[in-house]
Amino acid sequence: MLARSAHATFTSLSKKRHICQSCLRRASRAPSTSTGRTLIQSRTLQTDDDAPFRKRLKDAAKTKRKREHASAGSTGDQNIGVNSRAAKWELTVGIEIHAELNTARKLFSSAATSISETPNTHVTLFDAALPGSQPHFQKETLIPALRAALALGCKIQPKSSFDRKHYFYQDQPAGYQITQYYEPFARDGHITLWPHDFPGGVSPEDGPVTIGIKQIQMEQDTAKTVHQPPSTHLIDFNRVSHPLIEIITLPQIHNPTTAAVCVRKIQMILKAVNAVTAGMEMGGLRADVNVSVRDRTAAAPGPGHSFYGISGLGQRTEIKNLASVKAIDDAIVAERNRQIDLLENGGVVEGETRGWALGSTTTKRLRGKEGEIDYRYMPDPDIAPVTIGPDLVQHLANTLPTLPDDNLRHLVAQEGGLLSTKDASTLLALDDGDRLDYYFDVIHHLRSTFPRKRKLLADLGKVTGNWVLMELGGLFKNQEWSAKRVPSDQLATIIAQVFDKQITRHTGKLLLSKKFEGDIRPIERIIADENLHLRPLSPQEYSDLAQSLLDEKPDMVKDITEKQQFGKVKWFVGQMMARSEEGTVEPETAEVVLRELLHLPPMEQK
Amino acid sequence: MSLLKHAKQYLSNQSTYSHLNAFVSLADPASILSRAEAADSIPDAHETTSPGLAGKLIAIKDNICTTELPTTASSAILKNFTSPYDATVVKQLRDAGAIVAGKTNMDEFGMGSHSTHSHFGPVKFARHSGEQLSAGGSSGGSAVAVASAQCWAALGTDTGGSVRLPAAYTGVVGFKPSYGLLSRWGVIAYANSLDTVGILGRDVESVESVFNKLNSYDPQDPTSIPPSTRSRLGSDRNIMSLRIGIPLDYNMSTLQPAVRRAWIRSLKALQDCGHTLHSVHLPATQHALSAYYVLAPAEASSNLAKYDGVRYGTRAEGIDGTPDSVLFAKTRGQGFGPEVQRRILHGAFTLSAQAMDNYFIQAQKVRRLVQRDFDSIFYTLNPLVKSAPVLHMDAVDVLVCPTTPTLPPTLSDVENQDPLNAYMNDVFTVPASLAGIPAISVPVDLDPSDRNPELVEKGIEERAGMQVIGQYGDDALVLDVAKNLFVAATRPSPYSRTSPFITAWGKNPSSPADEVVEEAERREKLARWETEKLESRKVQAGGKLKVVPGYGLLDKYPSAAVKKERKRLGAKAKELGITLEEYRAKLAAEEGKDEKPEQ
Repeated sequence: MLARSAHATFTSLSKKRHICQSCLRRASRAPSTSTGRTLIQSRTLQTDDDAPFRKRLKDAAKTKRKREHASAGSTGDQNIGVNSRAAKWELTVGIEIHAELNTARKLFSSAATSISETPNTHVTLFDAALPGSQPHFQKETLIPALRAALALGCKIQPKSSFDRKHYFYQDQPAGYQITQYYEPFARDGHITLWPHDFPGGVSPEDGPVTIGIKQIQMEQDTAKTVHQPPSTHLIDFNRVSHPLIEIITLPQIHNPTTAAVCVRKIQMILKAVNAVTAGMEMGGLRADVNVSVRDRTAAAPGPGHSFYGISGLGQRTEIKNLASVKAIDDAIVAERNRQIDLLENGGVVEGETRGWALGSTTTKRLRGKEGEIDYRYMPDPDIAPVTIGPDLVQHLANTLPTLPDDNLRHLVAQEGGLLSTKDASTLLALDDGDRLDYYFDVIHHLRSTFPRKRKLLADLGKVTGNWVLMELGGLFKNQEWSAKRVPSDQLATIIAQVFDKQITRHTGKLLLSKKFEGDIRPIERIIADENLHLRPLSPQEYSDLAQSLLDEKPDMVKDITEKQQFGKVKWFVGQMMARSEEGTVEPETAEVVLRELLHLPPMEQK
Repeated sequence: MSLLKHAKQYLSNQSTYSHLNAFVSLADPASILSRAEAADSIPDAHETTSPGLAGKLIAIKDNICTTELPTTASSAILKNFTSPYDATVVKQLRDAGAIVAGKTNMDEFGMGSHSTHSHFGPVKFARHSGEQLSAGGSSGGSAVAVASAQCWAALGTDTGGSVRLPAAYTGVVGFKPSYGLLSRWGVIAYANSLDTVGILGRDVESVESVFNKLNSYDPQDPTSIPPSTRSRLGSDRNIMSLRIGIPLDYNMSTLQPAVRRAWIRSLKALQDCGHTLHSVHLPATQHALSAYYVLAPAEASSNLAKYDGVRYGTRAEGIDGTPDSVLFAKTRGQGFGPEVQRRILHGAFTLSAQAMDNYFIQAQKVRRLVQRDFDSIFYTLNPLVKSAPVLHMDAVDVLVCPTTPTLPPTLSDVENQDPLNAYMNDVFTVPASLAGIPAISVPVDLDPSDRNPELVEKGIEERAGMQVIGQYGDDALVLDVAKNLFVAATRPSPYSRTSPFITAWGKNPSSPADEVVEEAERREKLARWETEKLESRKVQAGGKLKVVPGYGLLDKYPSAAVKKERKRLGAKAKELGITLEEYRAKLAAEEGKDEKPEQ
């Protein structure tokens, strides 16, 4: 699931700008929805690399193709050597995730948050750090932050405070970032990864994995620098002071995939509780990872290093600014291999900060310990401590939107659901939940239109899931998802017509593709206009048609009867459908008739 | 009295005393005159009982943002900067009809005690041509502008004494209100947790009238005290007989004898007015200065990080920040003067991971001890601290102590001083800043034996600054005591001091002769009225009735039983989370009778 959706996002992203179009559309239509959903905006975070995201993705794809080409014929798996070493070396990873909160205003000014508006149009005096200006904490920004913390099982701190983290950069107007260093607002949470969260539904650690969350803190985003070579830097302060949360996990992850899945799941949870604006690939989320390895076989492990109370770890390095789930996976694999190689060759891992470029095979040293910045954290004297009352926390906990895990349980377990865990989690993961909404819409239509069709209702989840994911999904392949392309009531009509045997399944697919291509007529109209109703041939007509085809191709008949190539029956089914008018031949009936004529056993029940 | 006539004289004084370098920029004279003329036509503008600000010239320290003139903080890095907005305090003054006279020179970003660390050259204080004294700092420009009658009053900022110190040197009144009462929105931060807008004037009444206009909640300033807390501040006390505290820890060996004698004279004068004197101990004071010089530079190093030349201010020529150099180092190296650089480095060090625990954290602890010291000696409880009411037999209402250990040094002495000695000047002013409590410096006469005969001959009045310090929120009480002290310890009458025709030291060579005569007559008249008032006060205080803080007018101090009862009620009130007064009102309401002693 991970691999698949990551790939889908990858391909679709390579076709557009790095601003999430679906979020933009969602934002534009949000006010008209009756669900009363908060306006969701997409924003982007700055990564160190100023090259456009689209270009980096293209480069990454190119590098990947090259590498695959080069290793064709060999194993093609760069991890194969490592697997044998995995027994000896234990990997430990901790993650820091930064996500843009979904808020109307900035963290410390009343300026509106904005996505891609004219540069420097949403900037207050404080945002530009003008002399004499002061911060105005927008307490509403706490709401999405608290939702995120509750969804991740954190303990909300009754008192938290803001500190200044100092460093000079042109995108940091005050010369410091306001963050929560000494007293974060949330601590001691956790996240559980179930087997179905992993690609192929198999957890590398055999069963569910629970990862502790040390703390969540609120902080400001920086401005956006647009680099114009050779030496011009244009700065857009619209993004300055956009509220972020930083989620810090404990170093309890021992597998690169687990790390990637963990980030992906945190992303889904944040999305589900409406705490953040965009997914990681859209630039609304980025992660730093701490990676270390230790020798499991070492007789008496030394005291080692200790982080957040977890001791006996190897020296760790930090990889900064990973902007996609895939980058996290790849960067950890590369860094683990680098560290193991280093240690096996008698070297020593140094505590340093490293970078990762999309599509590369190794991490790159950015700065060593001696180059570490002393951020000189100081409590901000202009910002009063934040006091959060238990009543607010209770209210937010009571009104928390359903979490993905609960959604999944609900989807799989619902009456007449029968949606497979795999399909359910796919639905949940696709298109920021838009696909799931669409699925529910179709179900809703079918339920209200056909309240008495017990048999249909019993299979509703499975049938609808199939149409939404496979049939419609196939049409959307490589295209941006839109619920408007085939309105949900129209798909419901198609499903109902097929179920009622008013049309064949084949006709149903045909109708679906007509609607997809922009046919504005209602389904019933198209069926009437083009005479697509199922008008079944009589048994005699079926038999005649089948016989004439069999007579035409005696050699194929031979293949079937003598060489047991039963697959070729399907070819005859196809021919029967092709040679008769649309809506007159049902493939199932055709196959039964053919099998009778060929004296084959009846089809095994699917 | 005509506002226009005064405005003309202020403008004339501005050119007479331009060599004192009090202003960085001056407002357009034509505009000042037309505004003063317009104010003259407003009825009640001349009301003397409650002086309004309409038509009055007020100078603004150059670290307070104004849209009309540049705001430089006397720094090269902001030498061409004009703020796009007015500070709240400036807006309040304009709304009250005051005229901005200009922007006053200062120590760069407020860092200094003599107003010599300025990109625009040092401020000078000279009462006659042979003199070149320190104006004090950092609001030295504001103090000199007021003292030399170049404006009616001035705004300064006080972080560790920056308003009180120059007021003491130049012989004017300088008031630092409780932290959080006056808005800091638009005031360029030096050390936010200490920065306070302060007011300089020729007498306490003018300072008070400005304070009353500015003393209101400003939602733009996150540290502004909200209305709910303001309503709990201060105590409504009859000031006829107060308990005056003498902090013995301030009687240090470095205290100049002349200043010590002025202090003793002031205390005697207050005693004559019916107040009682009590010695108190503030043991944390000896560490206050060190704590201040850790905390203020630490906050400064953070606050000044924004000056990088990117969005405003000056920028160094060429590329700033190559792979071999630190980003913005060139711009900041050129834009900041040596004292600012010294404090930024100092602050950056104390905040660094290796020094944080030993310096910044320790200094914060000392700051709390200093606050606790004050809370332990004041009768009024600190309204911002939730603690059990501790009652002391020896609790006092206000403290009176010198503002500075010495009289103003010469500028050449200052030049030869090392920075550490310069910091010593702030030893008496820093504790009130750390505690955030109100303090005012009032000019008082020197003992006749200490007067410089040369100056006496020239008719120049020489004074020392005496500080009145009160509990947090007791600003009104501090101002009242200051008025009392000023009247009792300063001759001739300070009540005529707001005139532009004389200076703080008496003479003004640029005044028209008839005005000087008129002024002298007015002074005499006021002095008589004042003496009468003083005498009547002494008579009143000589009687049996005493004002006992928290109890009202009593014939004797409360007995142990009465005090015990008050303590019991105080503890009950605290349990309920309300003030003693509220609890009493509650009891009264419940039992249908007033438990308060008769006032």
